[in-house]
Parts: sequence; C-alpha cells; structure tokens
Amino acid sequence: MISANAVITGSYDYGEVTRSILIAIAASYAALDLAGRVTAASGRVRTAWLTAGALVMGIGIWEMHLKAMLAFHLPVPVEYHWPTILAALWVAVFASAVALYVASRKKMGPADALAGSVIMGGGIVGLHYLGMAAMRLPATTRYSPVLVTTSILLAIVFSLIALLMAFGLRAETRWSISRRLGSAAVMGAAVSAMHYTGMAAASFISASPPDLSHAVSISPIGGYGVFTTTLIVLAAAITTSSVDRRRGEEVRRLNQELERRVAERTSQLDAANEELRREITERQKVEHDLRRSEDHLRLVIDTIPQQIWSGPPDGTLDFCNTQWRTYVGLSLEALQGEGWQSMLHPEDRERVLRAWRESVATGTPYEQEERHRRADGQYRWFLARGVPLREYAGRIVRWYGTNTDIEDRKRAEWALQELQSDLYHLTRVTTMGGLVAAIAHEVNQPLAAIVTNANFCLRHFANGTDHSDKMREAISEVVNDATRASAVISRIRSLLQKGAQERVELDINQIIEEVIVLLRAELTRNHLTLQTDLGLDLPRLSGDRVQLQQVVINLIMNGIDAMRNLTDRPRQLIIKSMKHADGVLVQILDSGPGVDPEEADRIFEPFFTTKSEGIGLGLSISRSIVESHGGRLWAERVSNGALFQFVLPESDGVS
Amino acid sequence: MTETTPVVFVVDDDPSLRRAIKRLVESVGSQVELFGSAHEFLQAQRPDAPSCLVLDIRLPKISGLEFQRQLTDAGIHIPIIFITAHGDIPMTVRAIKAGAVEFLTKPFRDQDLLDAIHQGLERDKSRRAQEAEVEKLRTRYESLTPREREVLPRVVSGLLNKQIAAEIGTSEATVKVHRSQLMRKMGAASLAELVRMSQKLQQALP
Repeated sequence: MISANAVITGSYDYGEVTRSILIAIAASYAALDLAGRVTAASGRVRTAWLTAGALVMGIGIWEMHLKAMLAFHLPVPVEYHWPTILAALWVAVFASAVALYVASRKKMGPADALAGSVIMGGGIVGLHYLGMAAMRLPATTRYSPVLVTTSILLAIVFSLIALLMAFGLRAETRWSISRRLGSAAVMGAAVSAMHYTGMAAASFISASPPDLSHAVSISPIGGYGVFTTTLIVLAAAITTSSVDRRRGEEVRRLNQELERRVAERTSQLDAANEELRREITERQKVEHDLRRSEDHLRLVIDTIPQQIWSGPPDGTLDFCNTQWRTYVGLSLEALQGEGWQSMLHPEDRERVLRAWRESVATGTPYEQEERHRRADGQYRWFLARGVPLREYAGRIVRWYGTNTDIEDRKRAEWALQELQSDLYHLTRVTTMGGLVAAIAHEVNQPLAAIVTNANFCLRHFANGTDHSDKMREAISEVVNDATRASAVISRIRSLLQKGAQERVELDINQIIEEVIVLLRAELTRNHLTLQTDLGLDLPRLSGDRVQLQQVVINLIMNGIDAMRNLTDRPRQLIIKSMKHADGVLVQILDSGPGVDPEEADRIFEPFFTTKSEGIGLGLSISRSIVESHGGRLWAERVSNGALFQFVLPESDGVS
Repeated sequence: MTETTPVVFVVDDDPSLRRAIKRLVESVGSQVELFGSAHEFLQAQRPDAPSCLVLDIRLPKISGLEFQRQLTDAGIHIPIIFITAHGDIPMTVRAIKAGAVEFLTKPFRDQDLLDAIHQGLERDKSRRAQEAEVEKLRTRYESLTPREREVLPRVVSGLLNKQIAAEIGTSEATVKVHRSQLMRKMGAASLAELVRMSQKLQQALP
C-alpha cells in the first residue's frame, strides 16, 4: 500500500477483527429478530419496539465499527473527536430504524426495498465515514474513490439482502436457530466486509498533530469493556427480544387464530343471520296464515248454527260464540263467569247447576236437557253438552261445550208420546171391548148376590118373621158384594181412562192380582186353570200402573187365545213373579202350541198377528211399554207351551 | 119316600152368590147343598130325595151345558135351573132343549128362582113317582108265567079269547084262566087299566 515515506501503514489485530465480526453478526441477529418483533407488534408497542430495535441495532453496528477501528493499529497515536462519534451513532440508529420500519411493514414492494436499502446502506456508509472523520491523528486521510464507491454499493446491496432476509424470515414463527444464525452471519459478514472495504479505501499520510479538542481515546470504550458491555446489551436485547418475540409470536399466532376464528365465526354469523332472516320471513308468513286460519275458525265458530262455549277448569265461562250471545241477547261480559246461569229456567236451575257442579268436580262429560231463555223472554229446550280437555297428566285444562236447540225435537217427542198414549188407550179400549162379557160377568156376580140377599131381607120384612141374625148376615154380604163390584168398575174405569203417563212406586204382585180379578171370568169362560206363584219381598218398581196392567192383561189374553183350541191337554196358565238381577222378572206360561221360532221376533212387530180376530198390536205395545219402563219383554218356546216374560228395573227411589 | 125333604143343589164358583141363594131358598123351607164346581158335585154323596140343580153356566174347566150333557149320559135325570151373568139365545135354546127347567140371567128376581126351583122339584117328584110306578109294574110283570106273558100282549091288543086260543094252540077255557090270573097279578081292575099299564111298561123297557 503504499507510498514510500509519507504513508503511514496500519496493521490489524485479528483478534479484534474477529470480535468486531462477531459483534456485527450478533447485531444482525438482533436486527432480524427485532424486525419480526416489530412486525408482530402494533400501535405504541410497535413504536417502542421500533425505537428499541433501532437503538440496539444502531448501537450494535456502531460498536462493531468502533471495535473494527480498535482492531486497526497505526504507528501514531489516534484519538477520536467524540461529538462526531456520537453523530455516527445517531446515523446508525436512524438507518436501523429505517431498515426495521421497512422490513416490518406488511408489504414490501421493490420500490420500498430499494429505498430502504439505499437509506440503510447510506446510513451504514455515513456511520463508517463519520467514524473515520472523527479520527484525530497526526496524518491526513486520503480515500481511494473506487474503493469508496465499492463500499457504498456493497453497503446498499448488503442492506437490500439484509432487508429481504429480515422480511422473509420475520413471518416464520418457528425459525431454526441455525437458519437465523446463518442469516445473521451473512449480514454480519456483509457489514464487516463493507467496513473493511471502507477501511481499505482510506490511506493515512503523516502530517501535523491534529486538533485534539473534544478528542478522546476510544480504547477504554472500545476495549474489552466496550466489547463486554456491547455483548451484554446485545445479549439482553436478543434475550428480551427472543422471549418477547416468542410471546409476541404466540400472541400473533393466537391473534391470527383469533382472526381466523373471528372470520369463521363472522361467516357463520352471516349464515345464521341469513337463516334468521329467512325464518323471520317464514314466520311472518306462518303468522299470517295462522291469523287467516284463526279468522276463518272464528268465522266458522260464529256462523255454524250451534251455540259454542268454553271456560277454565273451575266451571266458569270465558268464551261463547255469537250464536249464543245473539240467542240470549247478552254480551260476552254479561255471560262470562257465572253470568250464563241467569238464562236458565227457574225450574231447571237447581238440577242443571247440581249436574254441572258434579261434572266439574269429577271431570265427567256433562249432558243435560235444559231450558234457556231467549232474548225475547221465551224459553226453548236445549241439549247442553260439555267435555273436558285434559293435558297428558290428565289434569283438566279447559271445558268446551255446545248447546243444541232441541225445542222442535222435544215438541215432536211430546206429540209422539201423546200419540203413543192414545194408541195405548185405544188398544186398552179394544182389549176391554173384547172382555166386556167377562167383565160384565165379574160385575154381575156380586150384583146377583146383592139382589138375592136384598130380596131375602125384603121377604122377611113382608112376612114379618124375625130372623135378624140371618138378615144382618145378608146385609153385610150385600155391603161386601157392592164394594167388590165397585172395585171392579173402578179398575175398568182406570184402565179405560186416557191419562198422561205417570210414574209411581208400585208392587208388581198387586198389579198382577188386580188384573187376575178382572180376567177371572174370562179365564173361567175358557175353562182354564190359573196358577200363580208370586215371589215375596220383591223390589218396588217405578212405573205407570195402568200401562203395566195393560201389559199383564195383554200377555194373559194372549195365553188364553193360544189355548182356545187346545183339547189334548189341560189348559193351564201359570203366572210367576220373582227377583231378578235387573229388578223383577214376571213370567206368563201357557200350555198352548207355543211360539213358532221363526215368528218369535216377528210377533212383537206391530200389526203382526197369528189370530184371525187380532189386530196385532198387543205384543208390540206391551213391548214398547216395558221398554219405556227401562225393561225388556221377550218370548220363548218351552216344552209344553209358550213363555212370555218381562223384566222391569228396580225403582231408584226417586219418583 | 114321598115325605123326604126335597134338596136344592147349587153349583156356582162364586161363594158369595152361593151363600145368598142358600139363604133365600132355605127361607122357603128347602134344604140346600152348595158346591164350588161340577166335580165337587159329582163326588158328593147325594141324598135320595126330590131335588133340583141350580147351575152356573160358566164354570171352571167345563161349561154348565157340557155338565148337563154328562149328567144325562150318566142317567142322572135331575132338573136343572141355569143361571148366568150373560146368556145368549143359542145358549138358552140348547139348555132348554136338553131339558133345563129354566134359564135365569143374573141378577135374577128371587121369585123367579124360587118358582123355577119349585117347578124343578115338582118335576122331579113326578118323575120319581113315575119311576116308582114303572118299578111296581115291572115287579108285577116279572111275577107272570111265560104262558101269561104270551097272553098279555094279545089281550091288550083286543083279541077275543077264542082267537088267542087259536094263536097259541090251546083251549078257550085255558086262555080264560090265564087272562083272569094275569089281571089279578098285574092288579088291573079293567081291561082299559091293563092296556095303560102295558103301555107304561113298553115305554120303560126296551
């Protein structure tokens, strides 16, 4: 190197060189690390990290420069102008800040990279040449323009490489130490190479002693102390950085995860929102349909010719349809609760309320015929029905019911009852007509005795004979016979009476005996024997006396008719009464030809008859009478004749 | 025989009427026996006296008319007075034709019944007298010898002794003896009486 006497030749302490390179590598490592850190952070933290990173990296580069300067030994004393050195430090820090800023941005376009590397390279070059300018030694410094240019270009190129490396590596969360170290080594080497190229560009020519104001020796700083301090600073930076980076990376990863999740969630939410919107639309449609259907139902409920109501389980009322309100002429408010009871007919009220209370208490369906007052004050008959709606556990939730106008049906029923009663009467009259001879005999018999006894008495009066004992006897028989005749007549009269059906408590045996008295003559006339076997302690029945007598008469007459042409065996009629599971059973057994099995059911049909003179109503009327009393009547063929029997239910004690 | 008290039998199923009739009839001095049914009447031991039967035409089991026929068939010739609560003409005709004394409708007048009973008893008395007469003649007739029984119809038919003798192949004198014997045995005072006796016997004997 080197001109003969004017040039001062320097030498390098290679140990120091090595250490300076190590410092450069360590600084690079820290810089790469910090680039990632700054990237991971944001806001104030980012600014803080950027600042700290720039300081650490700047100081590192600066230290490396000082160290490299110490490694260069000149045979003359060298001192340094410390303000310049400090300025160099700031340049380093600024360059580092720019580099970190560029490398930590989200994107790094070619222009960014180039501008960044120019600024960073410029910074490093500035640091180097400022450091050189701070040298105070008894010599002048000359620079080789080629090498200076080379060092600048190297600085820019290496800066570019460093930036790209830092940018490339920062995203990686798990970098291998070796790869990071490799990158740091390349960068450190590049910085060092630039420095030593710069050093090579300079040559020193001895001159007058320099101005030593503000000049210090950097050996104390640049010695081991500097090195050690630097290492500690770097180590601390690296450690902090790496710990924080790990944490930061983790946070970033978590952030990313979080962002991913948030994104995922957001899309889910969007889908859910969409679904919700769709559902809302659907729901609005359903609600609309429901409202329509409700309107329709209400229309149906208010239009059908039926009174409809419902109410809570306590038996009050909280809804009734227009039909009912119109009929009663009251508002829903007036009918609600127990208001509906006001329309009941006074005679029905107690029965209806008792039945309704019982239904409510027991949960059994309600069904009653009752009179309801119309708006004009007239009462009409209704069939009122109510059923409980139960939940799964069986608890009653509501009562629903209807009132059906049955006034017309009732009237028809009454008319029918009247007709039926007329028919019963007519057939009784007909039967009695057929029995006139027998009945006349029955009345004549006591009359004959009366006349005879009375004549006996008259005869004695005429003769003036005194047979007072005999006469008293005769007169008392007259009384008895007259009573007997009048009883027969009153029975006939009651049978012929056309009266409304009335239910009384009665004894079936008494009815049978009364009928036998009436029919005795008829039995005698037809030469048949009557045997009775009437049970004792039979339950009392509830029924219409005349109608039941009619049944017994019809059945006995039937038996008599059946045996009219009987010659090969005794004509015998047996009447029995006995207890039965359903009440009382009455049997009338004749010894006639019996009932043809094929006709066993037809004989109860109206106008069916096997007799030439019959009109065929006796049995059908008997059956309808028995059935109207809640019983049944049927015929059986037995070995020697026919058996007609009927069962009547026991009186329930209410009549 | 003629002094026996007449008996009135009453068959009616109505005890009250039976008792009333008994009371009435006894008050005029007749003996009365009551029966509830035809069967009871047939079973009873009836006294041998002039009697009549007051019979209700409507009886349990068999009718009064049927019972009347049964009695006739059994050779019981008791006069019957029918009483009925409700009689019709055909029934009356049948009863009277079959020999009933009277047919009374209940309630009947007491005198009508008593008259009918009287009539019935009288009829029975004369019937009984007639029966007694025939019986007496039959006994007499049975005492005749076969020759006398040959002569009797010829005497009654008005043949002369000579003609009779020629017919039966004997002498006129023998016929004369037979004739006076049978007149004596039969207790006939004249030929006309013998003729009457013979007619009665012919009616009674088959």
